Amino acid sequence: MIAFWIAAAGLSAATAGLVLRGAARARPVDDAQTRLEPHRRRLAEVERLAIDGLLAETELKAARVEAGRGLLAAADQAESWPRDGLGPRKAVVAAIGAACVATAGLYVVLGRPELPDQPYAQRVAEWKAADPSTLEPEKIAAVLEGVAAERPKDVEPLLFLAKARAVAGDLSGAEAALRKAVRLAPKRADVWSLLGETFVMEAKGDVGADAKLAFGEALKVDPNDLRARYYLARGKIAEGDVQGGLSDWRALRASLPTTDPGYAALSQEMAQVEATGRLPSAEPAADANPQVQGMIAGMVEGLAARLAQAPDDPDGWVRLVRAYAVLGETAKRDAALARATARFKDQPKVLSALRQAADTPAQKTAPEVTKP
Amino acid sequence: MIIELGSFALILSLMLSVAQTGLSAVGGARRSPVLAGAGQGAAIAAFVAVLVAFAALIHAFVVSDFSVANVAANSHTAKPLLYKVAGAWGSHEGSMLLWCLVLTGYGAAMAVFGDSLPPRLRAYALAVQGALGVLFLAYTVFASNPMARLLDVPVEGRSLNPLLQDPALAAHPPFLYSGYVGFSVVYSLSMAALIEGRIDAAWARWVRPWTLAAWSLLTIGITLGAFWAYYELGWGGWWFWDPVENASFMPWLIGAALLHSAIVTEKRGALPGWTAFLALAAFTFSMLGAFLVRSGVLTSVHAFAVDPTRGVLLLIMMGLAAGTGFLLFALRAPTLNPGGQFRAISRESAIVLNNILLSTATAVVLLGTLYPLIREALDGEAVSVGAPFFNLTFVPLMILAFAILPAGPLLAWKRGDARGVARRLWVVLAAAAVLGLIAYGIVQPRKALASGGLVVGFWLVGGALLELADRLKLFRVPAAESLRRSRGLPRGAWGTTLAHAGLGIFVLGASFETAWRVEAAQALSLNDSHALGAYTLTLSDVGTVEGPNYLAERGVVKVTNKAGTEICHAEPERRFYPTGAQTTSEVAICPRLLDDIYVVLGERRAGEGGKPAWLVRAYVNPWVRLIFLGPLIMALGGVVSLSDRRARLGVGRRAEEVVS
Repeated sequence: MIAFWIAAAGLSAATAGLVLRGAARARPVDDAQTRLEPHRRRLAEVERLAIDGLLAETELKAARVEAGRGLLAAADQAESWPRDGLGPRKAVVAAIGAACVATAGLYVVLGRPELPDQPYAQRVAEWKAADPSTLEPEKIAAVLEGVAAERPKDVEPLLFLAKARAVAGDLSGAEAALRKAVRLAPKRADVWSLLGETFVMEAKGDVGADAKLAFGEALKVDPNDLRARYYLARGKIAEGDVQGGLSDWRALRASLPTTDPGYAALSQEMAQVEATGRLPSAEPAADANPQVQGMIAGMVEGLAARLAQAPDDPDGWVRLVRAYAVLGETAKRDAALARATARFKDQPKVLSALRQAADTPAQKTAPEVTKP
Repeated sequence: MIIELGSFALILSLMLSVAQTGLSAVGGARRSPVLAGAGQGAAIAAFVAVLVAFAALIHAFVVSDFSVANVAANSHTAKPLLYKVAGAWGSHEGSMLLWCLVLTGYGAAMAVFGDSLPPRLRAYALAVQGALGVLFLAYTVFASNPMARLLDVPVEGRSLNPLLQDPALAAHPPFLYSGYVGFSVVYSLSMAALIEGRIDAAWARWVRPWTLAAWSLLTIGITLGAFWAYYELGWGGWWFWDPVENASFMPWLIGAALLHSAIVTEKRGALPGWTAFLALAAFTFSMLGAFLVRSGVLTSVHAFAVDPTRGVLLLIMMGLAAGTGFLLFALRAPTLNPGGQFRAISRESAIVLNNILLSTATAVVLLGTLYPLIREALDGEAVSVGAPFFNLTFVPLMILAFAILPAGPLLAWKRGDARGVARRLWVVLAAAAVLGLIAYGIVQPRKALASGGLVVGFWLVGGALLELADRLKLFRVPAAESLRRSRGLPRGAWGTTLAHAGLGIFVLGASFETAWRVEAAQALSLNDSHALGAYTLTLSDVGTVEGPNYLAERGVVKVTNKAGTEICHAEPERRFYPTGAQTTSEVAICPRLLDDIYVVLGERRAGEGGKPAWLVRAYVNPWVRLIFLGPLIMALGGVVSLSDRRARLGVGRRAEEVVS
């Protein structure tokens, strides 16, 4: 903050110097020169045009008369500005002093000298150094973007990046990362099927042409890829081929050990389709996935734990209150809001941000879709 | 610290503008060189302070500092550097800062380069310029501060509208604002002269260079905007009579009228009141444009979505500036010397007629722009005013103005010889008519009105060239003599020729392109073709490409002529910007000499037999290049005129000082 005030004082001094320089260079003026100048130049121009043959004789006469009249009128208007005494100089110093004081006063009201710059690269470096469990999914994705850029030939950071983006709700970003990943590893079925799954999530559960293409590529590499087989069968059911889809799911289930958690989930889903003749739900949402929900809840609790240890972090409290509000945990939201309000009761901007965060509507949870 | 220093600098510039106003006004009134000199220093200092603020904002965009609300709302880390920088003026708040930068920049220019102005006029003009600075800087600081910080800093920004991520649009606002705000100097000089009660030939001579600079920059700005609309929006047109386009066009029209009336005041001392009125009106229309674009009263692709409260503040500012100006004008106008007399047939009369037509045309554009707002306010009905209205009202007025334009420069001042001018111009008229008839005969389908438009275009170009030939006595004296005369010809005369010829070139392009544009749209699967006038378009491939911040489907469209020869590969794109989930069309243009083959790739859909197909829209836009070339030649004319030694204030005096 001291550096800021030194820089601000330097800028004020430099601009004040410009004003004082203007005053110091002022000389008594006889404005006859400036008043007469345009008319003299007009006369000279008329004569030059006449010499060049660009003005007819009649026009030349008229132009001379006009310019001469102007010259006489201007001579009458001329005035002189005498040398100034000390008074105006004092007034200039007072004016520039008042401008600088008023600037500092207004800045104290409007500005935030305590807030440092927050360039993105610096923030990412801080997140990279922090405990990942305390970071929100967007921040993890930001860190992973850097890792992926540092290791452009490595597919793994891209897969982590895609997952982090999907958890953060950035499905287009996840798709972009996976498109890069399949270019790097076209022989990996899991990468293709992850891309296909992302297409399905972007299409709110529909297994569209892009998804089918991606799952098809996955099965070319590994005909047993579970994710691809699951979604392609699901696509069949959605398109009306219920028996075909169920048959594919039965084959898929047969390839799973009965102890696999996916076995039970798939059995339950098949039972629903057999009973109703259609899919139970159409929207697999990243934020509805219990794994994802668990991850988010873990992050929020990590943030709460960090704030319990280091509570002097207004941004952290605002994020915590918003996170509880989004998760619909109103009791925890209100408790966090009360603690933060008590701590930052003298900071109206923080209190306003806290109130805004508390008013964030809770997210709507989509029906759960179980995947093998 | 950098962004907070920018915030401090912005407030400092506001206070320095207050000082500039006070010191200059008192300095002028009390004939105090020290106070007036300090006012000049304050004008330079205010510019330096805004420059620091603007640099700080650009830095925040470049380093993606999302703790700045404006950066968070309008930038993204994946954006290319050019658009990160352009993002600084891509939003309402940032563009207001750009406006303030240009405004204080012109004030500083007047302080630095205004030595040839009479001291009192200069002091009062700087006081008025400072007062304008106070208005706009106060609005920026208190109502739309681009340096406002966020306590809860988002991880990523929301990015700039993808439509605005374009090189032409990155350059469009700086030119446009340099033009808009350039008229503030003209306004200030007019106010200063009205306060002094002296508007004469000398004043017009001081005003004209600033008007020329502002008008030329505005011409470039509007042309860049039209060019962007042409190739970015994907609808094949270049002017839509959109209210925001009209908002930039009105000050341009008034600026053109002012340029001409200032010549009459300068050469003959006539029309001083009218010239001062136009000077006030030009900046008033600039402010009206700012209000329309930012108040939220208009819906337009170009408009900033801004809340009405800010709009009301802008309206109050416009009311204050324009109201004060016109009130002063009403008080002073009766006392102004009417200046030199002139006959009905004279160059002055031609310019007066030109001014009447340009002003009426501006009024028509104003009516067409505001009418939907008035109707909505009166009876709640939503109406739109578009091309049909302007074709019936604006175009006839312009045709009248164009009809007299070539005659004006050929008429003598004070008392012109109509017959002599007619004798000189009949060749041009005949040649234009013959060329129009040829076009009517050979260009299919036959269109009489469009052929008439071509006659007007040829008439303007021919008239401009004839006037130049007349000055050089081309073919009437030996070539060496014409060459000698061309060397002696003032640059202002060359500028006039370029501007008038540029206008003709624009009219030729606009008439031809509007009338004979060919359009075709069809859903094509791979290797399908469709006809477009004399060409055949074949969709040979569609692939996926990844840009820095978008994913795109890129089509490869093969364009062949009737002989089957391939003319070009057009590669239109349909881009998806994940941030904001926006889709845009990236037009592919195959440039011919004067024409464009313009191809747009549409959405993918199911074609015949379930094969994927894409809607491919294409246009042949004949002579479209003239539409953009013409205004650029006009702007070049302005710049050439500006380089005339007569326009460079102070040059003459310095030269004399050297000689003496």
